[in-house]
Amino acid sequence: MKQHLGRQSGVQNVEVSLIDGKVQVTPKENGQIDPAQLLKATYDSGVTVAEMDMTAQGKIVKDSSGNLALQVEPNRSFAIEPNDLSKSLESLANSQTVVTVRGQLYKKRANKKKADASVLLKLLLLEVPKEVPKEAQKKE
Amino acid sequence: MVNAKKFGLLCLLAFVLVPASQAQIKHIEMRVEGMT
Repeated sequence: MKQHLGRQSGVQNVEVSLIDGKVQVTPKENGQIDPAQLLKATYDSGVTVAEMDMTAQGKIVKDSSGNLALQVEPNRSFAIEPNDLSKSLESLANSQTVVTVRGQLYKKRANKKKADASVLLKLLLLEVPKEVPKEAQKKE
Repeated sequence: MVNAKKFGLLCLLAFVLVPASQAQIKHIEMRVEGMT
């Protein structure tokens, strides 16, 4: 699995811990890594993904329906699952502010034996910056 | 002359700071099952 994931586009390094079943993937500097592709590659190597967490830097954008998303590349963004943490980022929507967030992109459903590699990845925020930038506070 | 020097320093500063603020995925962690 380590070799399989290491061959994926944008992957710098893969660390596998057999003891706790954790796989750490470090993207290449400025590399375009695709979490959905990683999920599929892991699935293809015969291993079930229970959870996938991501730490990313990006801009908060709001689509026409008013849903928030984290834009990590000009052509790649992840819809943000609404929760208390996402509310604190609403003031940053469509600004030029770059934030670093940690969130859960995928969690296996209890009744599913295998991960569904084709599932739409939504970002459930677990951690956001403690201090919202001053320019965003002025808007409120 | 002074302005050219300031401009050079500004370019150097921008070169150092811009990559740090770029949007990108920094790290991915997966918890997997069925690994042998």
